Amino acid sequence: MVDLLQVSGLTKRFGGLVAVNNVSFTVREKEILAVIGPNGAGKSTLFKLIASFLRPTSGEVLFKGERISDLAPHIAARKGIVRTFQETTIFKNMSVRENVIIAHHLRSKANLLGFFLGTKLAKADEQAFGTSADEILEFLGLSAISSEIAKNLPHGHLRALGIAIGLATNPTILLLDEPFAGMNHDETMKAVAMVRRLRERGLTVLLVEHDMPAVMKISDRIVVINFGEKIAEGTPAEIQSNAKVIEAYLGSEDEAIGL
Amino acid sequence: MEQVIANGLYLGAQYALIALGLTLIFALMNVLNFAHGQMYVLGGFITYTVYGQLGLPFVVALLASGMTLAVIGALMEKYLFRTVIKRSHREESTMLLAAATAFFFDAVILLIFGEKQRGVPKIVKGVFNTDGLIMPYDRIAVGALAIVFIAAFILYMQYSRPGRAMRALAQDRVAAQLMGVAVERYSMIGFAMGAMLAGIVGGLLVTITGVNSGIGGPISIKAFMMVMIGGAGVVGGAIAGGFILGMMESVGLTVLREYGDVTYLVIFAALMVFLSIRPNGLMGKPWG
Amino acid sequence: MTRVAKAASISAFLAVVFILVPVLIIATGRTDLYYTLTSVALLSIASAGVWLTFFIGRINIGQGAYALMGGYVSAILVVNYGVSFWLTLPLAGLFCAAASILIGYPILRLRGVYFAMVTLVLTEVARLLALALPITNGAKGMVSIPLPGALSIFGVTIIPNFAGMQSPRLAFYLLAVTMMVLCFAAMYRLVNSRIGKLCQSLQQNEELASSIGVNIAYLRVIAYAISSFFGGVAGAIFAAISQSIYPSSFTVTDSINFMLNCFFGGLGYVFGPMLGTLVLYFGWDLLFQTGKFQLLIYSTLMIVLMLFLPNGLLSLGDLLRKRGSNNG
Ligand SMILES: Nc1ncnc2c1ncn2[C@@H]1O[C@H](COP(=O)(O)OP(=O)(O)OP(=O)(O)O)[C@@H](O)[C@H]1O
Ligand SMILES: [Mg+2]
Repeated sequence: MVDLLQVSGLTKRFGGLVAVNNVSFTVREKEILAVIGPNGAGKSTLFKLIASFLRPTSGEVLFKGERISDLAPHIAARKGIVRTFQETTIFKNMSVRENVIIAHHLRSKANLLGFFLGTKLAKADEQAFGTSADEILEFLGLSAISSEIAKNLPHGHLRALGIAIGLATNPTILLLDEPFAGMNHDETMKAVAMVRRLRERGLTVLLVEHDMPAVMKISDRIVVINFGEKIAEGTPAEIQSNAKVIEAYLGSEDEAIGL
Repeated sequence: MEQVIANGLYLGAQYALIALGLTLIFALMNVLNFAHGQMYVLGGFITYTVYGQLGLPFVVALLASGMTLAVIGALMEKYLFRTVIKRSHREESTMLLAAATAFFFDAVILLIFGEKQRGVPKIVKGVFNTDGLIMPYDRIAVGALAIVFIAAFILYMQYSRPGRAMRALAQDRVAAQLMGVAVERYSMIGFAMGAMLAGIVGGLLVTITGVNSGIGGPISIKAFMMVMIGGAGVVGGAIAGGFILGMMESVGLTVLREYGDVTYLVIFAALMVFLSIRPNGLMGKPWG
Repeated sequence: MTRVAKAASISAFLAVVFILVPVLIIATGRTDLYYTLTSVALLSIASAGVWLTFFIGRINIGQGAYALMGGYVSAILVVNYGVSFWLTLPLAGLFCAAASILIGYPILRLRGVYFAMVTLVLTEVARLLALALPITNGAKGMVSIPLPGALSIFGVTIIPNFAGMQSPRLAFYLLAVTMMVLCFAAMYRLVNSRIGKLCQSLQQNEELASSIGVNIAYLRVIAYAISSFFGGVAGAIFAAISQSIYPSSFTVTDSINFMLNCFFGGLGYVFGPMLGTLVLYFGWDLLFQTGKFQLLIYSTLMIVLMLFLPNGLLSLGDLLRKRGSNNG
């Protein structure tokens, strides 16, 4: 397997607070890598740095060997690094299908003027996006609710819609920030299977998650962050027996690593 | 030099008091109160009537200005803004309502008080005069009173029960509601207090600059600017913004005197540049 | 709406503004209405621009600045350089669009009230600049701007010389209404194309939009430039009609009114700004007879309407439809 993403010496300061401190790791092609850590450890900040939503104070992120740390988020997305949000973030006044269609933006061949004039190219785009959106909705089991207005959806569906939006951009790496949050056991199991299928589709998946059983089940490797620093990295089995990790989790109050 | 600073401080104190009321309403309800300047004018006219016309003591007049505006503010919140916020799809809609109430106050003020410039007798006579510094006593008194009101406001927000509730509300409406804060009640109290502050400044300043029905709009715009400089919805920001604008005007009017309106052109342009660099002002919370 | 119904309502609208209104005005001799309706058409163009910025989630109280700018650009080109009005019309629009790109790029990062306030300040800056710059002739403004000349292409006269006309009022009315129709047609197309969806995505969540690869800064600036283009064109025609332009021709009050027109018609409807402008302008005009109570009644009505239709006049249709479907 090849290193797709290289995170090296990544640091982010917010005023006096060091949210991410000199973190380095690599992500291989088509793997599922989980980033875990107690609340406030800096996981979401790390994801924002990788997806170029934040600029690092120091350090850098290389994607296929190319530095992407100073790009605008939409450029990073164009290159294939797409994140979903920790909070359920969707276009709430659009229908589910519209949400997914609009997320095909990167795939459009026509430009803005083309869309305004309704050129052939633009029409072809619309057609293709529609088909692809239906396919994604089918894949995620959302077909039945495709015409619901997004803000009316229950929580589990919102998460799935967030992922559908991410998928529609046709990313190389998808960063999922707590994709299973707020799901019950059955929903989580379904979602885990779904993430596996993403990988079968050829995606590389990075995810932040607090649900330890799910993390242990799904990931190829795990990176553990505490107080902004990487304290461990390895396979689920290695992580489960790592003394530092256990300490970090026991140190925090109501977190259970599910050992 | 001392003169410029003294003028700036005097202007700043009253500006800060104006900005405080506006920012309070904004912080609590996300409403940009276009009618703030008109509330100020109303306060001015009430003091003019009570103190200037009826000859009652200035304190009574000031109290009347503050109280009347507080009642008006409470009614506005309860019967207008609350309803519109509830029914509207977009929270910006309150802007139309605020603008309409501004027009309404303009109309009422014009009908009741006419369009003449009105003034009242000085509250303190005499001029403070040492080498290089000239300041009429009434300006000093008004500036000092403004500072007293600002201090009282801060203490109230910091230590009283309603003050704390309002701060919780400003921070996070939903969380405050979950914590058991009576959101509607404190929104109303906050709106009333914001309006009251506008009325009080109006009452204070009528003793110096007088008042006329046309200045509501320009006052609102100045208040907006101060709030933007300091950061919308933050008490410290409003005070900082008030003093900064006061100083800028004082300095600008001295340095750029012969160019007239260029002072404001420079201030405005500087504000635009400043906000492009610091989108939330000096210490504001992000919005929207 | 079906295709047929749409085509029918468009033709009906065109027939009313281009044929019925002039015929009625000529029949009744109320030529003063030309001026009113011309104003409504122009103000609705400027308001349409404001509406477009609302559409990307920004409250724009700066349209007066661009209307003023457009007016001055056209006036200066016509008076100082003898350029044909017809050429200055697109130039004024383009100048405003270009200026708005420079101004918009930094300020469009602001949101909510911050953007609103900066644009409000922009209106003041434009006025003060017009007062201070040598080329705009200070407070005296630009006066005696000649009426638009003839427009001919390849020797064929497309638009006759306004100065030689019996009734330039009708000509201005037709010009303004034509521009209005063009602007709103363009807006309608924009909003209902994919660009409209992209704009909506900005309005609903900019962060998410950029995560799916939308260049939000670019799109914002484009929308703002189109908006300012509309403002500039409206301002240019205004200057031509009144044959003058002053620093006070468009002020903060106008900027606020443009915004109010949008709210009043309805932010969720492309034709909201047109209806809003028509009703507010005519409403104000009609209330003229109430003398000193004009502003009081006007603002009271506005507050009442706001209480009952906070989503604009056009939301009435939606409400009725909903009620209908609830009963049926
Ligand atoms: N924009 C910001 N400005 C200042 N501080 C921030 C900002 N974003 C995050 N932080 C701080 O950085 C730290 C790390 O936050 P982050 O959201 O990355 O944690 P997390 O690991 O994702 O936590 P959680 O599990 O609760 O989602 C926290 O202390 C947070 O308060
Ligand atoms: Mg997080």
